[in-house]
Amino acid sequence: MDCRHPRWAAAGFCFLVFVISVGRVFAQSALTAPSDLQVIDTPNDGGESLTVLWAPGPSDNPDARYEVLFGAASATDPAALKAIAEFPANTRYVKDAKTAWWTRKAEGTWHQYVIRNGKGVEMKNGTAYTVTVAMRKGEGRAVGPLLQATPSPNWFNWNQFNNLILALGFGGLVFYTISHAKRNNIFLRRIPGLDAVDEAIGRATELGKPILYLTGAHDMGDPSTIAAAVILGRVAKRTAAYETELMVPHREPITMAVCQEITKQAYLEAGKPDLFKEDSNFFITSDQFSYTAAVDGIMLRKKPAANFFMGSYFAESLLLTETGASTGAIQIAGTDSDHQLPFFVTTCDYTLIGEELYAASAYLSKEPIQIGTLRGQDIGKAVILSVILIGTVLATVGVATGGSWPQLFLDFFKDLK
Amino acid sequence: MIFLRRQLPLLITMITGLLFAGQYYVPHPSSELLLTSATKWLQIIGGFALVLGITSLFHQHAVKIRRQEAGWGYSLVLYAGMLVTLAAGALAKGKESLDGAMTGFGWVYSFMLVPLQGTMFAILAFFIASAAYRSFRARSREAAVLLVAAVIVMMGRVPLGEYLIPLSGDVSQWILNVLNASVRRAILIGVSLGAIALSFKIIFGVERSYLGGGKE
Amino acid sequence: MTLSERMLKIDRRIIFLVIGLCTLLPLLYPVGLPIKISPEVRSIYEYIESLPERSVFLLSIDFDPASKPELHPQAIALLRHAFRKNLRVVAMTLWVSGTGMADQLLTQVAQEMGKEDGKDYVFLGWSSGGTAVIISMGQDLYKAFPSDYGGKATKGIPVLEGVQSLKDVAYAISLGAGNPGVEAWYVFGKDKYKFELGGGCTGVIAPGLYPLLRSGQINGLIGGLRGAAEYESLVGQKGRAVAGMDAQSATHFAIIVLVAICNLFYFSLRQQQGRSRQS
Repeated sequence: MDCRHPRWAAAGFCFLVFVISVGRVFAQSALTAPSDLQVIDTPNDGGESLTVLWAPGPSDNPDARYEVLFGAASATDPAALKAIAEFPANTRYVKDAKTAWWTRKAEGTWHQYVIRNGKGVEMKNGTAYTVTVAMRKGEGRAVGPLLQATPSPNWFNWNQFNNLILALGFGGLVFYTISHAKRNNIFLRRIPGLDAVDEAIGRATELGKPILYLTGAHDMGDPSTIAAAVILGRVAKRTAAYETELMVPHREPITMAVCQEITKQAYLEAGKPDLFKEDSNFFITSDQFSYTAAVDGIMLRKKPAANFFMGSYFAESLLLTETGASTGAIQIAGTDSDHQLPFFVTTCDYTLIGEELYAASAYLSKEPIQIGTLRGQDIGKAVILSVILIGTVLATVGVATGGSWPQLFLDFFKDLK
Repeated sequence: MIFLRRQLPLLITMITGLLFAGQYYVPHPSSELLLTSATKWLQIIGGFALVLGITSLFHQHAVKIRRQEAGWGYSLVLYAGMLVTLAAGALAKGKESLDGAMTGFGWVYSFMLVPLQGTMFAILAFFIASAAYRSFRARSREAAVLLVAAVIVMMGRVPLGEYLIPLSGDVSQWILNVLNASVRRAILIGVSLGAIALSFKIIFGVERSYLGGGKE
Repeated sequence: MTLSERMLKIDRRIIFLVIGLCTLLPLLYPVGLPIKISPEVRSIYEYIESLPERSVFLLSIDFDPASKPELHPQAIALLRHAFRKNLRVVAMTLWVSGTGMADQLLTQVAQEMGKEDGKDYVFLGWSSGGTAVIISMGQDLYKAFPSDYGGKATKGIPVLEGVQSLKDVAYAISLGAGNPGVEAWYVFGKDKYKFELGGGCTGVIAPGLYPLLRSGQINGLIGGLRGAAEYESLVGQKGRAVAGMDAQSATHFAIIVLVAICNLFYFSLRQQQGRSRQS
């Protein structure tokens, strides 16, 4: 180096350093197109959807934006594609999507965008489309490769695989406990409300007054109505044996038809078929308050000594039970309508709460099928309790340690579609 | 005969039960189409069930009128009401108003059904008070806790309560959002497990009481 | 009979009279106490506020005249809000006995807000099937309701432009008094067709819907007359719900006083019985 002009040399050197630095800065902020871009048919859906995946990039910050471009399969130039979505470059990650870890197609840190029909997009199953992703920052734009994919419907939603396993597992458990109950004696806790059933029927017989039995507001598709119908069978058998009048007003014609058969069979089994009356089960109306007014009228006129309220109820519950209480009848209720429980508990002598109603049919019949089902349900509840406990601990550990591995367990018990 | 009364309904129940349980896990459009068709059938059958109910109602009250049993006059009133409403509805084509004018059907709806239903629902307010007076006694520790919680929520849910004791609003919100929600969830879980178990039993023919009659 | 025994066995009609007066007098002489807004009602208000103009808002009026005092004010407040935001209102009902009332209510509010049938709102009416209707609407709205309540074909109505099924609904609210109601709309509607759902219900059902609210299955809940009064306050148009809060305040306090009196006499009687057993 010629040191005869040191000032000029120093300036030149500084200028060179400056140029290199600026060049570096520009090189750093030079846009990179999305890498490892993939476009696939969205899995686990009914079709007409594509999923775009790409790896995280060095420019993933709030200043930059990703743009999803979509068009016909014949498009070969990005200019022919339409921008259907735009979002900040530090959003839309695989880990944020509400899908199960076992169905993810890429790492949690990758970007994911699901293209669906609507808002300018119209896809048909079996037809290919061209998709790409571009990165924009200011005036700059870097477009990824153009890729083709074809949406198609799937036959199984793997996101619900955990749901299927748990449902089948519970079903299997119930059938196992039923077969276990057939071979062994299973202890069943005494439910005070059910012990009172005999007492109530006996009281009605002594007083020479009828028994009123209601099966609730829902139709035969509801478990509570089925449980009510099963208990009716047992009650009808007792009333047949004691020769007490039984009145069963209905809100649903199909329930009435089923209960009629059940009552007839009960009288047959009690050896009193001649005492069976066709109109012991009668239809009033489907309308809530018309039915309530009619039943209240029956209570006030006929003054039954025992009232049974089994099944699902709504606002009419208090109207029925308070009227029944005013006539001095003994009242036994059983419902899974938790919003009516306070009214039943305050106005009835005994109340079967929630699944105690389902347990009632098992308790009365002593059938292994019913008892086995109860045991299966109890085990199911124990499993849920354990999962809640373990899940709480794991979630806390996950938050405390910052690890994502507890999610592997927690996701299995989540509702993911 | 046994096949028609027992085996066939059980077979239909099993096939359709498994089919629609499986349908939930299949996102394919043909699965959705199956569901749509089934729901249409449900709507049609629901209409038939109504006919069954009305026929039963007519028959039951006709017997009462013919035999002149106690209260047969009310059965006559029921008949008259049903026929008049049916006729009014048919004439008005089921509409409560036509071209801004109230139809006969609309008159029956607005001046009979609406006030009568409202009256029945309003009785609840009085019955709640009398039931509460009769039963809300601190007979035990649990009853006392229930009583205190009830009073706090009753106060917290009305402006006067929040005005007198501002904390009652927040406490009642906490009771509803935390205590109530968790307990309701527990009851819901129990009831849902019962419903799932019952559904499995019905689908696989283990539970047959819905068919009527006893064991065979 | 001692005083305590007489008071514990008091004629129900006296209690009915007290409640009757506590309901009637505040309606005749209102006080107008301030109403605190709960987060669950506010979240429905804020969600509707955030909807862009001409978004599709579905209101399912799932109650009958019996629940009118609690749910009618909720419906009116929601409709006023939706019309003020220029949303496209699609109303319907799953309860046959509520059809006439729903039609009257929608017409009344629409006229008040200067909205046009077919352009700004449509009343689809009722279709049989309950939850089957929700599923059907989720597949194809026009198959579930080929015509609106007035008999006009739903296909081609301007307000339903771009709406093929429930998937195209921006926000749905079910005002339910029972079943089918909010829960049915979640299970057969939102869970399958992925639209946002809010709920309104009677005061009795409200506690049972808190699990759905806490888990995010519904994004807000308007519970009973109190919820309706809160929403009216948010919308800035006070109506029957706010007017009814004074009566509700008085009635609640009457029940609290009656329960306190009953417990007082109950404990007094227990004391007397205890003393007589000892002697």
